[in-house]
Amino acid sequence: MDTRFRTVSRSLAGEILMVDSRTYNDRVVTVLVVLSLVWAIAGMAAGVFIAAELVWPTIDMGQEWLSYGRLRTLHTNGVIFGFGVSALMATAFYSVQRTSHVTLFAPRLAWFCCIAWNLAVLAGGISLLAGWTSGKEYAELEWPFDIGITIVWLSFAVVFFGTIVKRKVKAIYVSNWFYGALIIVIAMLHVVNSMAIPVSIDKSYSMFAGEQDAIVQWWYGHNAVGFLLTGGFLGMLYYFLPKQADRPIWSYRLSIVAFWAFTYSYIWAGPHHLHYNAIPEWVQSLGMVMSIILLAPSWATMVNGVMTVAGAWEKLKTDPAMKFIVLALAFYGLATFEGPMLSIKSVNVVSHFTDWTVGHVHSGALGWNAMITFGTFYFLVPRLVGAELYSVRLANIHFWLALAGTMLYILSMWGAGVSQGLLWLSLDELGELSYSFRDIMASMVPYYALRFVAGAVFLSGAILMFYNFVKTMENRTTVTRRIPEVRTARSAVEAVA
Amino acid sequence: MIFVPVAVVVQGNKLFSHLGQETASVGVVVLKDILPLALIPPIFLYVGSTLSGWEIGAEDPIHLSKNIVLLVSLCYFVALFAGFIGLAVLLRWMAPTYDASLELSRHLTVVATVATPMVIGSLAHLYPHIFVNMLVIIPALIWSMFLLYRGVPVLLDTTPQQGMLMASSLIAIVLVATVTLLGVTVVLWTHGFGPSLGL
Repeated sequence: MDTRFRTVSRSLAGEILMVDSRTYNDRVVTVLVVLSLVWAIAGMAAGVFIAAELVWPTIDMGQEWLSYGRLRTLHTNGVIFGFGVSALMATAFYSVQRTSHVTLFAPRLAWFCCIAWNLAVLAGGISLLAGWTSGKEYAELEWPFDIGITIVWLSFAVVFFGTIVKRKVKAIYVSNWFYGALIIVIAMLHVVNSMAIPVSIDKSYSMFAGEQDAIVQWWYGHNAVGFLLTGGFLGMLYYFLPKQADRPIWSYRLSIVAFWAFTYSYIWAGPHHLHYNAIPEWVQSLGMVMSIILLAPSWATMVNGVMTVAGAWEKLKTDPAMKFIVLALAFYGLATFEGPMLSIKSVNVVSHFTDWTVGHVHSGALGWNAMITFGTFYFLVPRLVGAELYSVRLANIHFWLALAGTMLYILSMWGAGVSQGLLWLSLDELGELSYSFRDIMASMVPYYALRFVAGAVFLSGAILMFYNFVKTMENRTTVTRRIPEVRTARSAVEAVA
Repeated sequence: MIFVPVAVVVQGNKLFSHLGQETASVGVVVLKDILPLALIPPIFLYVGSTLSGWEIGAEDPIHLSKNIVLLVSLCYFVALFAGFIGLAVLLRWMAPTYDASLELSRHLTVVATVATPMVIGSLAHLYPHIFVNMLVIIPALIWSMFLLYRGVPVLLDTTPQQGMLMASSLIAIVLVATVTLLGVTVVLWTHGFGPSLGL
């Protein structure tokens, strides 16, 4: 065991130190993909466990670290920052090299990003289980982690933009615009929202107070959804979809127009999380209007994706990855329509504080983020190690499990959410609330049981994928690929196609 | 029509091919298949609601007067009928993109086939408890989706790959339509129609 560990660590150190400017640096991509997969399983398993806790509350066995409150933050941080960001770093490093026709800038810094980011998420996850929390949703990690994350994120920016600067293709391909926006906006959001006064190693208090704190928090929260879970993954879509379809994007112009419209309108949408709250009414209305406008660039992107796939249908015969991308586009369409709709104040007054919101988040998280990542990984992993996918059949089974799990999840939460909205607000003849909180929650158990099944089905698909990749990568190392020469006057669009 | 979904599980694509070759006119398909399918769930709903009252979850079932139930059932019928026709028209609209048949009667047949398990599932309306209905509708929905992915390429005469894309597009449209319906319902509630809410 000891010799094996030494061999592995020596070979990893060798890989980190090896730099060759004539080849793409893909080893760091492979490691990030593997870590992303590990986080996917761990984060989703935590999700399934807390779904079970809502049905059988005693399975926490009286342990604080197994309680819903602590595991829920582990679930969200694990899937968003562990699974999601590792996948985004991997695909950004992979695609920026190819669209720029150069190897990574500062490759050792890229390795630092990979290792330090994952250690931060791991240590952060343990701190959440220990009860450290800033109390800000999706930004729960305490100040020591916030500082660490800032350093890693700036390193990510240096590697990414450094590679763009030394590119050999004049135009900057659209996927890089989205990855670039992800890096810049998340840095800005994270730094501003995490401003706090530390009182001890495990506790700090936000520099903002009252309604300002709420506005800053949801400016952060909603734009983390916007620029990380939407924008970042659109970068993934714009690079990997044309590669898989083996044809250029349907309308390059539309993709650029959609990028700027998306970037401009998203940043204003946060206040829709605070409808009927203490914040000024005009701020709420502004948030609602900008959320509705957001539908246009979101659907422009969906149309662009759907039309690109429609022209490349032959690929579906051989490529299981394409199916995931088709479905990801369908759920992207649903989530980006449902979001603006839920931001309308007269809908939100019923839907807020119900499981409808949870269902909406998961139609995006399972249907869009996870599916597009699965589709990308089914394309990427065999290419990284220069082998065929171990089993196309398992990938197809995974596809159906993912579809069934997502549908079941959305439907159960629609049912639960609409019932809750109706029951919370129901008044009797005397004008008093008809139902107590306890009664309503007791009536939710069947929906929660259904959601637990949905999550378990989705997770089982992800485990199949993990096994499929382990078998594909078994006894193989990352293939070294030479950077092709750039021919004159080749546009970035052609370079990708 | 009602036996088709059952037969498809046993006979597979053969039956779909057979259905695809039938050359019924649009009017015949609407009268023979679409109309009865749109009528059955509202009838079950009417019977169930007048007999036992709706249970949303917590205690006390909601009892509505016969007139209101009749109105709701009528609206349900109109929504289903318009929805079925609308979906067929949407399929017809998408057909050129996916090299599928342009005959509207075939698109109506696809909608009728896919809707059948859900219509059978609407038997659950006889016991109007929202969770019981969901429990029945969900397997029916999975069955419908199976029929959709299997049926589209054969019935609409396109390749399995383009059929898969077309079926997925239809799922996206149905999901968006469903969530719109939920949204519109909620807006109606908040504006004073339907249940009395403390707003």
